Amino acid sequence: MARFILRRLGLAVITLWLISVLVFCSIQLLPGNVGRSILGPLASPQAVAALNHKLGTDKPALTQYREWVTGVVKGDFGTSQKLQVPVRPQLTAALRHSFELALIAFLVVVPLSLIGGTIAALRVGTAVDRGITTAGLSLSAVPEFVTGVVLIAVLGIWLNVLPISAAWEPGAGPWTQFTHLLMPAIALSCVLFGYIARMARAGMVEALDSDYVRTAILKGLPHRTVIRRHAMRNALLPTITVIATQLGYLIGGLVVVEILFNYQGIGRLIYNAAQAHDVPMLEGGAIVVGGVYLLATLIADVLYSLLNPRIRHQAAE
Amino acid sequence: MDDIRRTRSEMENHLIDEMIAGRITRRDFIRRGTVMGMSIPLISMIVAACGGANGSSSGSSSSSGGGTAKKGGTIRVAIIVPTGAINPLTVGDQGGLAMLGQTGEWLTIANPETLQLSGALADSWTSNADVSEWTFKLKSGVTFQDGTPMTSADVVYTMDMLSDSKGGSNALSVFGGVLDKGGTTAVDPSTVKFTLLAPNGNFPYLVSRDNYNAIIIKKGSDPASFEKTFMGTGPFKLEKYTTQVGASFVRNPTYWDSANAALPDRLEFTFYADEQPQIQALQGGTVDAIGQISVSGGRALLSDPAYTIIDVPSTAHRQVHMRNDKAPFTDKRVRQAMALCVDRPGIIEALFAGKAKLGNDSPFAPQYPSTDTSVPQRTQNISMAKQLLSDAGMANGFSVTLNTEKAYEIPDLALQIQSNAKQAGITVNILQQSPTVYYGDFTFGNSPWLDSTMGITDYAHRSVPNVLLGAPLLSTGTWNSAHFKNPGYDSLVKQYFGATDLQTQKGISKQVETLLLDETPIMFLYFYDFLGATKKTLAGVEITPVGQVQLAKAGFTA
Repeated sequence: MARFILRRLGLAVITLWLISVLVFCSIQLLPGNVGRSILGPLASPQAVAALNHKLGTDKPALTQYREWVTGVVKGDFGTSQKLQVPVRPQLTAALRHSFELALIAFLVVVPLSLIGGTIAALRVGTAVDRGITTAGLSLSAVPEFVTGVVLIAVLGIWLNVLPISAAWEPGAGPWTQFTHLLMPAIALSCVLFGYIARMARAGMVEALDSDYVRTAILKGLPHRTVIRRHAMRNALLPTITVIATQLGYLIGGLVVVEILFNYQGIGRLIYNAAQAHDVPMLEGGAIVVGGVYLLATLIADVLYSLLNPRIRHQAAE
Repeated sequence: MDDIRRTRSEMENHLIDEMIAGRITRRDFIRRGTVMGMSIPLISMIVAACGGANGSSSGSSSSSGGGTAKKGGTIRVAIIVPTGAINPLTVGDQGGLAMLGQTGEWLTIANPETLQLSGALADSWTSNADVSEWTFKLKSGVTFQDGTPMTSADVVYTMDMLSDSKGGSNALSVFGGVLDKGGTTAVDPSTVKFTLLAPNGNFPYLVSRDNYNAIIIKKGSDPASFEKTFMGTGPFKLEKYTTQVGASFVRNPTYWDSANAALPDRLEFTFYADEQPQIQALQGGTVDAIGQISVSGGRALLSDPAYTIIDVPSTAHRQVHMRNDKAPFTDKRVRQAMALCVDRPGIIEALFAGKAKLGNDSPFAPQYPSTDTSVPQRTQNISMAKQLLSDAGMANGFSVTLNTEKAYEIPDLALQIQSNAKQAGITVNILQQSPTVYYGDFTFGNSPWLDSTMGITDYAHRSVPNVLLGAPLLSTGTWNSAHFKNPGYDSLVKQYFGATDLQTQKGISKQVETLLLDETPIMFLYFYDFLGATKKTLAGVEITPVGQVQLAKAGFTA
């Protein structure tokens, strides 16, 4: 297992390097430049050129990339060309925010989806099954910004029971922070519920139809034990992979939700950096989100192998 | 009156003559008089001597009203997130300029509605006869927030930095061709002289609040570090600034103008990436005011009595260019036909709920004192458009691609133009692009904005039309997306820039407006109002047409 993890970590480093090259090449192809994005469309070309020179963004692309890589190797992510602040504290704060929101969303959506999917599978073909499946699909089909706007209108403005903004006052306690994050977490849960519940239902239906479950039932084991120890353990394997891959989306892909709830997450930070051609900030953000994706996949694989002895033995061999 | 005349310059006496002769209105006299550097008490005396009240005080809708603002409290404001560092040299976005205005001050201020100038850090100003040199006397006792006195050396330092043509200043869009580094000199500690590159009768506007970068900073200070201290001369001082998140300011207890000290104890700005969350924050009680709303985004607030809508007339507009050197617009009759298709009042109603002024295909907005409003307004006339197309050999219409920036109400404007043009048989194919793609590299040959046959571009408010008459329309203009080259126009604009009195400016304006109506290189369809919103219980919030949110006189009424 240790060798497996080490090999995956080695591959992750190569993947992250490739991401940094891809992002750097992509940004070179985009129209515009940092000086223009700071000074605006009506600034004179001379002023833009002078500012780009001052910021060092007129250096050859390879020089800029080399300088950035050299800094990263030493632990220095550089200075944001547009905001003129060090990148690392910005990334750290944004990543922390995104993790907090992802955590609350996971705490809401994972148990709900698993319970919903399991109930649907146990009542397969009934009105309950159809209800859960249809509700899940409907919620997944509605974009998160629509769900978010409805939630804000109902819970934030009309009923006034939850704060509208996900950003809390400095020094706020854990409960206040939780209440601020609840509405965006619900909006995200609505999107993810249908997907995860559907996977859980499919896995459970397949497991319930399997020989080992039939054998367990014929052995006379209590129904609850059959479900918990035999069916669910196997049914959850694909669902875990799905949940893990969603972690990357929850950390780095929430631009719309972050904008709607005015939350300083890493998705918004990357989006702004891309718009501004801010290479150090964009590269830093892409590496962090890429790292999160890779880590989430690794955790999923490890969990998968822990839950599935066949995979564990293959890895050991 | 004779006593007054004896102490005034030749140009000022000419202005007085113009008013006595009835060639300019009292309102225009006040506006022009302030540009010439005449003080408000002096203007009032002259107006009174000529028989009448000065009429300069109007119910200002540029600020929230409804009750008397009480001292104290914290005002929470939502604004769009500044796109970069708060550097007075480089700020060019709305969030950034709103931040500069909290602790910084300018030499002059133009009233958002009347465009009348008044001194802020400058006490008075005068020019030489050909308006190529302007001398500003600074107010006495002005100090920075750390107690250091502000002197002419600080003004020279600031202006040299902003006008350095080799530097990266955003203010070069205003100072380019007008003022360069070295053109600002200190006569004495309280007097500054500006020697211009070319005569400019509107120069005092160029150092006003509308040129948002031109806040006076301390000599020797690094503008790139401004964000750390926000050191200025204004009524608030920085408490905390957090990049991309927000900022808070507290009343400056040592403000030099104690009579106008700030009413609120504290200001709290929260940065938002989009308009809709700001509106929801106001509705949900998270903030007390929003720096800017659009009609389309803020409809819910416009009709809600719980909120005050601050409505500021501005000269901000969209330009619809038609390339004069490219088919089908090489024939001016085709351009005229296109302009005659457009239902301007209908567009204003649909896109702005009536909160905009009609444009007449020239940069001369109705607010400018130099605009000649006697030039007939162009209106929709489909039969005349068809006739013109027929005369140009296009009786069956034509097809053209309209490049649009996917921003603000511009995509909706494109649809309106498409629908209007169809009535005359013109097929408009809309090509929507992100602002980044639309502007491209901002140079001819590398920018859909400057290269497209037809396009829509957004232009911000200007207190004087000089920039708008120049860059988008002069033969050598760097923003000349219409590729309009007309020596007659170029000559008229040069005369306009050098005109020293309003009557001369108006005479030239009439010729420019008539020429542009005939040539129609660009459609100027409307000049829209700048809107902000506050809770009904908040009074005294002033919003300017360039987007500053001024809160020194703001406070809660209940």
